[in-house]
Amino acid sequence: MAAETVAKGFGLGRPGLRASLDVAWTVFVARLRIITRYKGAILLESFLPIFFAAMPILLGIAVAGSEENAANNFFQNTQAAGQGTSEYRLYMLLGSSTFMVVSLMLWLIGYWIRREQETGTLESLYLAPAKRLHVLVGVTSYSLVRSLAAFVVAMFVGSLLFGVNPLSGNLLAAIGYLMLGVPALWGLSFFFGALILRVKEANSVIQLIQWVVPFFMGVYFPVTMFPPLVRITAMAFPPTLMNDAMRSALLNITSLYGPGYIVLGLMFMAAWITPLLGYEFFGMMERRIKRNEGVGQY
Amino acid sequence: MSKKVIVEYSRYPVAFIALFVQVFVIILLFMMSSFAFSDPGTSGQQLSVFAGMMTYGFVTSMFLGFTLWEIGFSLREEQVRGTLESLYLSPTNKFSNLTSRTFAILLWTTVMCAAAVGLVNGLVGGLPVQNVLFGLFVLLLSISGFLGLGFLFAGVTIKLKETAQLLVNGLQFFFFIFSAQFFPFSVLPEPVRDYVSRWLPVSYAVDLFRTTLLGIPPELMPTNPTGEFLIVLAFAILSPILGYIGYLAFERQARRAGTLGEY
Repeated sequence: MAAETVAKGFGLGRPGLRASLDVAWTVFVARLRIITRYKGAILLESFLPIFFAAMPILLGIAVAGSEENAANNFFQNTQAAGQGTSEYRLYMLLGSSTFMVVSLMLWLIGYWIRREQETGTLESLYLAPAKRLHVLVGVTSYSLVRSLAAFVVAMFVGSLLFGVNPLSGNLLAAIGYLMLGVPALWGLSFFFGALILRVKEANSVIQLIQWVVPFFMGVYFPVTMFPPLVRITAMAFPPTLMNDAMRSALLNITSLYGPGYIVLGLMFMAAWITPLLGYEFFGMMERRIKRNEGVGQY
Repeated sequence: MSKKVIVEYSRYPVAFIALFVQVFVIILLFMMSSFAFSDPGTSGQQLSVFAGMMTYGFVTSMFLGFTLWEIGFSLREEQVRGTLESLYLSPTNKFSNLTSRTFAILLWTTVMCAAAVGLVNGLVGGLPVQNVLFGLFVLLLSISGFLGLGFLFAGVTIKLKETAQLLVNGLQFFFFIFSAQFFPFSVLPEPVRDYVSRWLPVSYAVDLFRTTLLGIPPELMPTNPTGEFLIVLAFAILSPILGYIGYLAFERQARRAGTLGEY
């Protein structure tokens, strides 16, 4: 009976748009309700980007010998890499805060899948008469809200601490680029979710991603400083594009990708293709796991 | 218990590979950041003392990070899987239950750190290495001290549950900055150095380990290296004892409240 239900669903009835939206909304509210029980987590993740930005700032001052030298050297080195700026504090803060958005989007999806696996509720979720896409939309929307909240707090507190003005550039354009980068992040989180579903060990993968992502995003330096092959890989990574676009808007520097219309075009392309590819990859991985060991195993 | 952890690890080979790659990525990330701030035209050789300071600090950060993650986080996993309460009902020694969790990861961290030092050595064309034996002894003492922090954190995990994973991340970054694990203490603002860093035993462990290997006087107590060694020694002896007492207090509290199995 159960197998038949799984194979054929509940009769001929198909949930309509309203029911599908209800699924996404219910998942979203449920996740939010859970996290409100852990207020410390929300507070901590808002401060992490500040720590993350402080490290290269202090490292830079140590290497250069003084703050002035650090600004001069950073300007010369980034100019040679195609993006001259001496505002290294804002450069790092913006990079770290954007990285936090990306990291949280991936992290929360990864942990969600792993947690459902470990608590034994993932299989039940698969038996529920709801499309996986809608459940995933609910979880990723929750991740987005949480990560954007962390971004805003980190930028605000970080700007006060580092004595920088994030409003000196084109704020509206930066917000626009951030919003345009979101669908690509959605797509990436589908990829990441599929990866966790397959490899199961979420902790190590998340820890690894925590460092690989800032490396490829150019959080601390322009990716053009990389050797050619790594540079191409890094520039093809959608968060790098988002980070670079936001930086070029807020710091009034040239984008590594070229003039504004090219950046915009590339962002639209990433926003269109990445979610499609991500969801397709998730479905493919899911089918393979269902054929082999089943989703209940961890 | 150690065997159980190793068997568990062997089920997830990707975890080992991920950890290994992570080390190289962190090192490259910070090395490239330092190149972005160096005077244009500076060679790798000229950065070698600075690179040594960063790399040796990184070694201590790896041991500290993995100790915190492994002890606290594995307890959290037992909580989520629902096996923590059963484990407490089994006739297992509680202390060995905690320490056994770190055995495999410490072994693996040692291998990773050796590889990381080798990588930077290659990148900058030779790192300064002095007083290796004494340096390793200081590292051993530091690890003993970190274990104490790990025990305490395990207790905190039982209490905080979900927030624990972010707390460990926050703690890692806290020590990165305030114990100056990636840069010299001299770049920290004086009030931070005097009112925060100097009060953290981890800072002395980091400082003594790297300055010993670099063959320079310690930064925090330049005129009294013996005093700094005694602080690290006290940290190595007292921290596990106090940490374990702290853990037992959290655990007792959870058992009384009946929340040990709750997650």
